Amino acid sequence: MLLAAVAALDDDVARVSHELPLRANLSALDNIALIPLYQRHLGAAESARQAMDLLQRLGHAGIAPLRDPDMTPAQRFVTKLARALILKRPRLVIDRPGAMLYDVPYPVFIRRLASHADLAGTWEIYDFSWNQALYTQVHDTE
Amino acid sequence: MNGFHFKVGLFAAASLLLGGAFLVYLLHARGFFEDTFHLQLAAASADNVAPGVPIVFSGIEIGQVVTLGLNEAGGILIHASFLERNARWLKENSTFTLDKPLVGGARIRVESPDLGAPPLPDGSTVLLQVSDISREIPVLVERVKAVLANVEHLTRQDGEIHATLGNLKTVTGRMTGEYGMLESILGSPEKARAVTDALDKTRVLITRLDGLALKMDGMAAKTDTWLFAPDGVAEQTRESLAQVRLMLGDAQSSLKKADALMTHAVEISANVKDGTQDLAALRTEIDEAVRRANALVNEINKKWPFARDPEVKLP
Amino acid sequence: MHFLAASIESLGAKVTGWFAVAYGMAAFLGRAGRLLLDRATWNRATFDVVVKQVYFTAVQILHVYLGYVLVISWLMVSIILSTARDFGLTEFASEMTIRVLVLELLPFLTALFIALRSGSAINTEVALMQVNNELDALAHCKVPPMQFEFLPRLIGGVISVVTLSGLAGLLALLMGYLAIYGLTPAGFAPYTQTIAKIFDFQIVAGLIAKCALFGLAVTLIPVTAGLETPKKLFMVPVSVLRGMMRVFLAIVAIEVVSLALKYI
Repeated sequence: MLLAAVAALDDDVARVSHELPLRANLSALDNIALIPLYQRHLGAAESARQAMDLLQRLGHAGIAPLRDPDMTPAQRFVTKLARALILKRPRLVIDRPGAMLYDVPYPVFIRRLASHADLAGTWEIYDFSWNQALYTQVHDTE
Repeated sequence: MNGFHFKVGLFAAASLLLGGAFLVYLLHARGFFEDTFHLQLAAASADNVAPGVPIVFSGIEIGQVVTLGLNEAGGILIHASFLERNARWLKENSTFTLDKPLVGGARIRVESPDLGAPPLPDGSTVLLQVSDISREIPVLVERVKAVLANVEHLTRQDGEIHATLGNLKTVTGRMTGEYGMLESILGSPEKARAVTDALDKTRVLITRLDGLALKMDGMAAKTDTWLFAPDGVAEQTRESLAQVRLMLGDAQSSLKKADALMTHAVEISANVKDGTQDLAALRTEIDEAVRRANALVNEINKKWPFARDPEVKLP
Repeated sequence: MHFLAASIESLGAKVTGWFAVAYGMAAFLGRAGRLLLDRATWNRATFDVVVKQVYFTAVQILHVYLGYVLVISWLMVSIILSTARDFGLTEFASEMTIRVLVLELLPFLTALFIALRSGSAINTEVALMQVNNELDALAHCKVPPMQFEFLPRLIGGVISVVTLSGLAGLLALLMGYLAIYGLTPAGFAPYTQTIAKIFDFQIVAGLIAKCALFGLAVTLIPVTAGLETPKKLFMVPVSVLRGMMRVFLAIVAIEVVSLALKYI
């Protein structure tokens, strides 16, 4: 919950942040598939399959062909989340979700995604303290 | 996605195919797939010859000079190479001439008058002839000038012919005198020799003019083969040459008439028949010839300013 | 006195700036070159992006480009031919046509064409990526932007300029033949002779090297100019302006150097 902490995050943390946008001229699927493609040197088909799989598990398979400007803030957030998840780093930090999910009650939204995803590991949410109240019904999950 | 992969593939395949085809064509054009045919050209001087000078047959380049060198006797040996397919134009009776046209670079011209002749063997040595039109013209003009100066000198007011003819006039009065032969008519052996000398000189002049006219004819014919454009600079040169030939013909016929008249004059004086009239005609004829000869010199100087400065520069 | 000092200072700043730009480009090129030699770079993904780049740079505009080459070469061939006839130099016309069009004018125009179309696009895109933090996002995900974004653009640019110049040259050769000899095979032998005389190994190698340098110039310079952009949106047009200016200077410099090497 301290912003300074966000900046100090190191390499074993995957961040979801409005400061880390998607590649604008690639589709959601390609944005996610980039990681297995360039980090693990998998084939294009295999990378795309893994990315599609992840999107399906998050319940948003339909956004695969959309590009950044065509997505709603929620869809954009899902893509960023999938991109962070596929990095397979020990920690996942969602940095100020309010800046990305300004059109949905985001604590509920994130919680629902988390239940869909069925993934191991902890999602940490960093947010402004005055938004604390929003999380009272829905605590940091899993 | 699939569509553009296909298009890029098509583009790449077509480009590679075209590039490869062009490469093969280029290798073929440069004779990579065939042997080269070598020839040594022996020449007196390597002026205007440099590696890369083309060797042309009927206006089409068939080979080029590769290297230049001196042989043991100090002569110039020019090494030329041809593609095998072009070597069939080289026959044993082919002539090789170095051309330095007024426009463009030097080239070696091959002429094979008989294409049925046996082919030239690889590596043989042939003679390179030099014909340099731009070097010949000033020389020719100088010679024409000298000849005409001679004519002028012979026929000037106080010249030998004039004096001789003056003497002749007075002598005709004493035709019936005690002198019988030409020597006697003229009064002294010296005077008789002067007349015969003058006649001889005129005859020599005429033959020289004849030769010049022939040469001019030859040059005009050559320019036809050398210079390419039907309406270019070369055409003017050809016309000039034709004009010079005509003018020389004029001068020549005038001098021939003078010769005939002189001969006639001698006969007249021998026969004592209306001598004075013919002698007057002779004078006007000779004056006319001189005038024409002078006009010719002026004309040549006007037509070829490079008689003084042989460098001709064209765009 | 003060004025003099100030102008010297500004000159010094300019020179330093140019050196910095040149150094940046050289360093970038060095990194790209090292990556090019790295086996890991040559995977399917890089290949796919290269294919995409070639598609957008060369294939998409091929018909427009070839039409434009057709018009330009037809015009140039007619001008050269009629001028040669006027001066009685017809026998040099085919050589002049090939030299002017295939060796000089068409590669130069191709480079300008690609610079205007793809170079400016690359510059804008890289500048926007820089301003929008997209490059930071890629860095966070440990996706190397050099392999993923820049190297394919350089390769695509080089391939595109070389192939487009080659195709344009072939088209111009064809146009030259048709203009000089018409639709007969009669002129094939002398035309072949002229082509053989002009295209020796040095000329062909020089032409390919020149086109490759053009291709590098019209992609490398926009990429580095885009990367230099400060993270402010209003700086994007300035970055494109600077990048395009440098591209133009580089193209002219390459052409001048190649001409000097060839004819001096």
